[in-house]
Amino acid sequence: MSSGDDEARLRAAMAEAHRRDAEHTPPFDATWRRSRPRRSTWRWAALTAGLAAAAAGIWLVTRPEPPPTSWPAIGTRWVGPTDFLLETPDLITLRSLPSLDPAADPWTARPAPRGTP
Amino acid sequence: MAPAELEQQIAALHPASFAWALACTRWNTAEAEEVLQSVYLSILEGRARFDGRSTFKTWLFAVVRNVAARARRRRWLEARAPWRLLPGAEAEPVDPLTAEEKGARVRRALGTLPARQREVLDLVFFHEMTVEQAAEVMEVSTGTARTHYHRGKLRLLELLGSEDLP
Repeated sequence: MSSGDDEARLRAAMAEAHRRDAEHTPPFDATWRRSRPRRSTWRWAALTAGLAAAAAGIWLVTRPEPPPTSWPAIGTRWVGPTDFLLETPDLITLRSLPSLDPAADPWTARPAPRGTP
Repeated sequence: MAPAELEQQIAALHPASFAWALACTRWNTAEAEEVLQSVYLSILEGRARFDGRSTFKTWLFAVVRNVAARARRRRWLEARAPWRLLPGAEAEPVDPLTAEEKGARVRRALGTLPARQREVLDLVFFHEMTVEQAAEVMEVSTGTARTHYHRGKLRLLELLGSEDLP
């Protein structure tokens, strides 16, 4: 069988396969119309989302300033909740230098005897 | 392209597009209708846009093929959903077109071919496209389309060997 015969045979087979397609073809207008409402729904959803985003943006820009928060003044010493653990009974002794009573100091209270070199 | 002109061109190609959608969905009429509706929706929403690089028919057929492939993948996943495996899950209804006459035998023979062979044969022998145009629709190189065309032709002739087709 020649190539031309084969092709004619396949063409006829394809035509046979598609012979009843037309009976099942939906009308164009109906298919086209059914596509349209979904399109408008999609557009409405996009439009609503856009408007909501714009409204949120405007609100963020124009909203009243929040009242100032009262922060502690800079330099205030912060006391930690566990600082008391560092307080030892001898802390005062450690923080200050011991001082002697000048009257009791034998070197400052008593003048050096005359004649001593 | 102006919307009115676009609609006019699509309307003119509607029967051919439906025939192609049927071939892409293995002659499932309900599915082909759904595919075509999705195609029109994609065009109306601007997700599928004709850029004039090919003929309008070639472009439209490529869109139909892509949408049908997507629908087929979705169905494949749905068919493997856990609830489908439960006893009592209904089998897919048989389309009336698949259970009839000589055409049905050809469609069954076509159904045994790999998708690309089936597509190229349908585009060339039914939609009167060249192999080059079929390659554009199928988004493959001309060489690849030609290979599928030759292999498909031989295989289909072999399958139809005993059929009393003209």
